[in-house]
Amino acid sequence: MSRALGWRAILAFAALAAVPLLPFMSKFYLLLAFDALLFGAVAMSLDLLMGYTGLVSFGHAAFFGLGAYATAALLERGVTSLWACLGLAVVVVGLYALAVSYFSTVRRGIYFALLTLIFAEVVFTFFRYTQTFGGSDGIQGVPPPELIPGVAIDSPLRNYYVVVAFLFLAYVTCRMLVTSHFGRVLVAIRENEDRARFLGYNVQRYKMAVCMISALLTGLGGALYPGRSAFATPDLMLWTVSGELIIMVMIGGIGTLTGPILGGAFFILLQEKVSSYVDWYFIVIGLVLVFIVLFMPKGLLGFRKMLGFGQWRTTA
Amino acid sequence: MAHDGVVLEVDGVSKHFGALVALTRVSLAVTAGQVFSVIGPNGAGKSTLFNVIAGLHEPTAGRVVFRGEVITGLPPEQINRRGLAKTFQITNLFPEISVLDNVRVAAQSRAPESGRPASLWRRPDVDGVALPLLEAFGLAGRRDELAENLSHGEQRYLEICVALATAPTLLLLDEPTAGMTPGETRDATALIRTIALERQLTVLLIEHDMSVVMGISDRVAVLHFGEKIAEGTPEQIRHDPGVIDAYLGGADD
Amino acid sequence: MDYLLAVLLPQLLHGLVFGAALGLLALGLTVIFGLLGVMNFAHGELYMLGAYAGVAVIAVTQSFWVALIVAPLLVGVVGAVTEMVALRPLYRREPLYGLILTFGLALVFREAVRQIWGGDMRRILPPFTGSTPLLGMSYPNYRLFLLAAASALLLAIWLFFTRTRAGIVVRAAVQDAEMLDGLGVNVRRVFTLTFAASGALAALAGLLLAPVFTVYPQMGVEFILLAFIVVILGGMGSLGGSVVAAFVIGIAQSLFALWMNPQRVAIAIFGIMIVVLIVRPRGFFGREGVLE
Repeated sequence: MSRALGWRAILAFAALAAVPLLPFMSKFYLLLAFDALLFGAVAMSLDLLMGYTGLVSFGHAAFFGLGAYATAALLERGVTSLWACLGLAVVVVGLYALAVSYFSTVRRGIYFALLTLIFAEVVFTFFRYTQTFGGSDGIQGVPPPELIPGVAIDSPLRNYYVVVAFLFLAYVTCRMLVTSHFGRVLVAIRENEDRARFLGYNVQRYKMAVCMISALLTGLGGALYPGRSAFATPDLMLWTVSGELIIMVMIGGIGTLTGPILGGAFFILLQEKVSSYVDWYFIVIGLVLVFIVLFMPKGLLGFRKMLGFGQWRTTA
Repeated sequence: MAHDGVVLEVDGVSKHFGALVALTRVSLAVTAGQVFSVIGPNGAGKSTLFNVIAGLHEPTAGRVVFRGEVITGLPPEQINRRGLAKTFQITNLFPEISVLDNVRVAAQSRAPESGRPASLWRRPDVDGVALPLLEAFGLAGRRDELAENLSHGEQRYLEICVALATAPTLLLLDEPTAGMTPGETRDATALIRTIALERQLTVLLIEHDMSVVMGISDRVAVLHFGEKIAEGTPEQIRHDPGVIDAYLGGADD
Repeated sequence: MDYLLAVLLPQLLHGLVFGAALGLLALGLTVIFGLLGVMNFAHGELYMLGAYAGVAVIAVTQSFWVALIVAPLLVGVVGAVTEMVALRPLYRREPLYGLILTFGLALVFREAVRQIWGGDMRRILPPFTGSTPLLGMSYPNYRLFLLAAASALLLAIWLFFTRTRAGIVVRAAVQDAEMLDGLGVNVRRVFTLTFAASGALAALAGLLLAPVFTVYPQMGVEFILLAFIVVILGGMGSLGGSVVAAFVIGIAQSLFALWMNPQRVAIAIFGIMIVVLIVRPRGFFGREGVLE
């Protein structure tokens, strides 16, 4: 198991589990922590695509939103089992991801970016204008899901532990993937897609596989969101949200898995501070993206490489 | 398995790119264990021929038969899995990973997990294939270096290692000594010959350097403006008047 | 027959104009990608900036015609500066950085415009009003002018790419950017000029179409999504393919709008794209190898 879980990770998760014990952890901060870890996990799953395979998804928010709608739709109808919600999310997001990943990978790299964007816009438009799903208001005021009958995830504390467990499982999964045979091929595709084909790899199939895995992890994250927010709205699927996810990956350090987790957390905390300046928000987002690409492409953690703390982005 | 020992048969292959005619009815046959060279002036269509054989392009006419099986129209990955590996005229490696990882990712495509669900969590140990290859080409000491940091000559060697790691029976080398000094070229030529013999490889080779061609080839074909104008042993080609006219022009010898 | 003339034909003409504008944008995207290796996510914003630059110039000069000259020039300058400052450092890097950067730029442009001019819709009045009787119907003069202008523009571009040395070089370089090195041209200047020119053309399209549609910060977003679909359908290896696909999509969009509400139109266009991707994954004119 050392490939998937080093002692540093174990310590980190132990620390995360102990966070609610800190004296100043009010409900507000627990919810903030929830968001930070949830989006950290989603950013990590996006890193599988961006950092390891070299594919930028401009429509990742759609996977998140679909997962949220799946859960909210069930909760609204009185089906409160968390497992049912997760199960439906897997099915819905899986089918959508199958379509997206197929069409986005039929042709070379750049088309992936275009098609993920287009697909996400269509999904957003569909949910925004379809009254069955609440139109622009979405599905509001859903009850909390239940872990087992009688045990509802109805407090920030419980939601927090659910997301820690999710992050843990997602982390282990991603680590196993990137250090396996599969992970090596992803890196090869990123470095030189054509050469990988000449080595006998069916590149489209690999791209589809990693896209679906990333989409499912993101969709599961989305499925956990209504438990905290009690709603699912089309705004979760805006392409600006997809842009925010990309920022999270880039800030933390593309291609490092742990970097994006930190990047996601950092971004959520920052957003919390900046949100009062709502008007300028999108300009800031845009400028941050431009700035990072030009001056800090390896992100905060990427600096580790420059200081010689071991290799990043290479297979182990 | 080969038909009468013929590993590769190129049968009347033509290739048009829109109005541009790159190849016109080229045919040749390569027998097992041969080193077969394809020469010709720049633009003669040699690389295009290799790209058609390896599956990058579909021929406009004609077919390619590899070990008795028609492979025309198959995608490159499937052709490689059948035992045909190609190197590139312009170095085509995985730049930001190490030399050893370059060869590992090539070698692992033949591991039993490849293409199966188990590849999602297992990591096959292919160093038993990768390290000997690196040693044979003198790259073992550079194994942790990023591929993009290698010298030109070292990168050309790595090109060949990567192709060999997929355990081919037929190796297509597209100007393997391009950009090498005469000394490097001599060493590379000897190395290729040795390795080909050791591994019982058949080699199809594009070259400009006549010393390489004449030194190691069993058979030579000459392309000119997309057509094959001569084929024979190195001695025959050297004295063929048509070839001398078109190409050798009394230059080196 | 009445229906044909009264309803269908005008929409068809409208679709042609719309398709021409789409074609301009799609050409810009294709050329920039082929030459500079960057997919310009901010291209729709250059189209939008053209309309807003028009708003600004008209406010000062009261003349649509002056704006028609000045606005594209202004946007061209913006394009040149952007290319030199933000894009040039990225040429040697992996393509993913260019995508993210232009995506960020798009956000900045859009929101900056919203801050300066507000998010409300604006109107640019057509430079002349009135309509002409034609085939039993009255067609607004401005729309007829648009049709003429669009045709002239496309003709000019076609001539540029086929008859001028510069155009032929750019066309060839779109297929294979490395060949430029061997020709002894100042590659940097070519890149900057190309980016600026495609931006100016997009701006021109934005301003020309502004009196027909309204002007608002999001106008570039919807247009660029359609332009992406055009590029996907036409294949990026072929300039002609982009133009053909643009007309197909433009006409489809206009005709569908007769029968469906805007959201359904978007989904219908998307459906066309899916069908084409299934039947001809390489697009109408996609070519094997290199860009496909």
